[in-house]
Amino acid sequence: MKYLRLLRLFLSTSIQAEMEYRLNFVIAALSSIGGLAGSLFGLSLFYRGNDVLGGWVWDEALVVLGFFTLLQGVSASFLSANLSKIVGYVQMGTLDFVLLKPVDSQFWLSTRAFSLWGIPDLLLGTFIIGLAGTRLGLGPLDYLSALFPLLCGLVTLYSLWFMLGATSIWFVKVYNVTEVLRKTLEAGRFPITAFPAAWRIFFTYVVPVAFMTSVPAETLLGRGSAPWLLGAIVLAATLSVIARSFWHFALRFYTSASS
Amino acid sequence: MTMLVHKIRTFLSVYYAHMLEYRAEIVFWMLAGLFPFILMGVWMEAGAKGQFALSAVDLGRYFVAVFIVRQMSVVWVIWEFERQVVEGRLSPFLLQPIDPVWRHVAGHLCERLARAPFFVALLTAFFLFQPDLFWLPSFQNGIAALAAMVCAFVLRFLIQYTFAMLCFWTERASAVQEFWFLLYLFLSGLIAPLDVFPEEMRDFALWTPFPYLVNFPARLLVGLETDLLRSFMILGAWMVVFFVLNRLLWRLGLRQYSGMGA
Amino acid sequence: MIEVKGLSKHFNVPIKVSGLSATIKHFFNRQYRRVDAVKALDFSIKEGEFVGFLGANGAGKTTTLKMLTGLIHPSGGSVNINGHTPFDRKKEFLQDITLVMGQKQQLIWDLPAMDSLRINAAVYEISKGDFDERIEELASMLELKDKLTSPVRKLSLGERMKAEFMAALLHRPRLLFLDEPTLGLDINAQSAVRRFLKDYNTRHNATVILTSHYMADITTLCERVLIIHEGGLVHDGVLSELIENFAPFRQVKVELGSDVDKETLSKYGEVESLNGAEARLTVRRDELTEVVSKLLSEQNVLDLTVTDPPIEEIIGRVFQKGSVS
Repeated sequence: MKYLRLLRLFLSTSIQAEMEYRLNFVIAALSSIGGLAGSLFGLSLFYRGNDVLGGWVWDEALVVLGFFTLLQGVSASFLSANLSKIVGYVQMGTLDFVLLKPVDSQFWLSTRAFSLWGIPDLLLGTFIIGLAGTRLGLGPLDYLSALFPLLCGLVTLYSLWFMLGATSIWFVKVYNVTEVLRKTLEAGRFPITAFPAAWRIFFTYVVPVAFMTSVPAETLLGRGSAPWLLGAIVLAATLSVIARSFWHFALRFYTSASS
Repeated sequence: MTMLVHKIRTFLSVYYAHMLEYRAEIVFWMLAGLFPFILMGVWMEAGAKGQFALSAVDLGRYFVAVFIVRQMSVVWVIWEFERQVVEGRLSPFLLQPIDPVWRHVAGHLCERLARAPFFVALLTAFFLFQPDLFWLPSFQNGIAALAAMVCAFVLRFLIQYTFAMLCFWTERASAVQEFWFLLYLFLSGLIAPLDVFPEEMRDFALWTPFPYLVNFPARLLVGLETDLLRSFMILGAWMVVFFVLNRLLWRLGLRQYSGMGA
Repeated sequence: MIEVKGLSKHFNVPIKVSGLSATIKHFFNRQYRRVDAVKALDFSIKEGEFVGFLGANGAGKTTTLKMLTGLIHPSGGSVNINGHTPFDRKKEFLQDITLVMGQKQQLIWDLPAMDSLRINAAVYEISKGDFDERIEELASMLELKDKLTSPVRKLSLGERMKAEFMAALLHRPRLLFLDEPTLGLDINAQSAVRRFLKDYNTRHNATVILTSHYMADITTLCERVLIIHEGGLVHDGVLSELIENFAPFRQVKVELGSDVDKETLSKYGEVESLNGAEARLTVRRDELTEVVSKLLSEQNVLDLTVTDPPIEEIIGRVFQKGSVS
């Protein structure tokens, strides 16, 4: 309960802080719309020379793009806003204050900030999925079934990101590493089957982008296969446990900025 | 004259040393710039299975060239400038008898130098992994591509530095840059060569500055057929436009800056 | 050297609000208010003078300084420095001045200070011979020689400030603007910076204009002080004059041979405190000699001292009263 109350407070203060930059908000919304238009255009190029992309017809590929947009929204609103700040806390020594609060430090660091920037993407992603789903004649149950793999994908992404953030205990300039992760996620725009074999292996086993967009999309389309779904669950569960213990491990090396 | 040479040498040597301090970051920036390789995968696969204007191998090479062009024309001046304005550190530089832009230029040039070894290593590794894609451009194409890349860098720097001027009026001008980046992303040829665009779209794009930042130099590098004269003329025209706009905004911006209390 | 006439500056500042609903309203309809930061200043400064700018936070010191350097354009009035209008930022003008701000550095953070110094030498077109000679001179004045080759981020705050001074003075400016140059430094570093500034001032007959929160900076360095209060000039003169104007009273401390009552002492002046045989009196300055001689002849005085009230107190009174009269 306390954690829910904190969450609400964090949310409202963050929104107030963001409202100060009004032009930026308008631009963020425009950026999202423009970004989506560009993504649609980019995707359509593949269908000028072929009917399918990695075996996915246009509307199906749209679902993948929808999940990707949703993911971007979550990244901008929650992940990036919070986890990029860990570096700052460590550098300035303000992590001391966080650690001394009677609140779980991982919770604090992961939820403290909320950025409005991701909202347009969240809305647009949902809209695209709904649009493509309607055209494919999907029912409410299909959407519901996709929620779970989506959640698994988000947990996976969050855990990876949080672990990268935690490395800032040792390495000060970790921001650039999260940027690399972010750029790699771009692969999630396309169905995993659209890649050549070597790429597919990389995006499944090294940076598991496949589990973040393709797997939820497959499930939504009623093509989910048990091994993939199981993989998503195991991956999410394992990574979140690892992330948590990794954080506690990292804290042992925290020296608290001295100067 | 000798004073000028001395100035240039001092700036370059100091900023090269500065960039070497950021080796680790530079490697990560480079890794974050691997986006073209993601698209290469999708496009090569699509090119092998469908009917496109370019073959799978040409598509593959095109994206290698895109990577090279992008690495050679990285620009971040707007973020640096924004920090200087927000933190008030621009003021002391304004009181020096040299335009502050030269510090940024020196930094950008030296960064390229510091990046070079990692860049070569990465390309070598890639071609070892995909030897079928390896190629060498002809001498003329290589020279033209080099010239085009230099121009692409200059134009990109001019554009971003022009947007940086907006820092004088708004607190986070880099948002404007991010919006512009979207157009860049989709019209420059970064996500796909302009050959696979619908015709009207391509004709339109070729009048904008975007294709000359990526598509044009990349095509020259791969050795695809290109209208050199026309391309360089449009490129030059955009350079003039942004240069004039930049100087105008700089002047207005300084007045505005002083209005904010410098 | 510096002529300032009717100099003024006003800003329009957005009004900040708090609370979510107010923020949303503010988002759509931003309100501004006009702030007069500097109001019609008149003064002139001669070559070689060491002038202190005093004022509470937000009194307009920094704004004035920035108008004098040409960073900001005045809303009204004029500044003339050696025939230049600062805002034009002509090369000859810039070669002659420097600005040091206590908490904003121009040195490149990750590199040794020497590298930034080399950049500045190139910018100001200083020859190799001059460069070496000046580095030698400044480094020995500042006792910084062995620190010039370690990265700036590894220097202590005091060392960093000294290095900033080297960068700022390498081109031997004849006019120095210093905005809180000792801010945040420890006592030793503060006095080192003060000694250095005094030294530089006499050695090169440089004009120095300084703002500071630390009274010691002002009392040890500045012959002349300008006091700015709410954007206007309330005092321009030597420090001692300020004391005359604002402190028409002196404190007389006496120690008598035996206990004395308050009534006895009241006829000499206002009794501030009385503790047995020790007392503190406040006496009007023009009556001081008379009172002291009366005290000495009529009472059994063991010890007597006359002091000014502390300068901080005087300045504080100036800020409160806001005017000389």
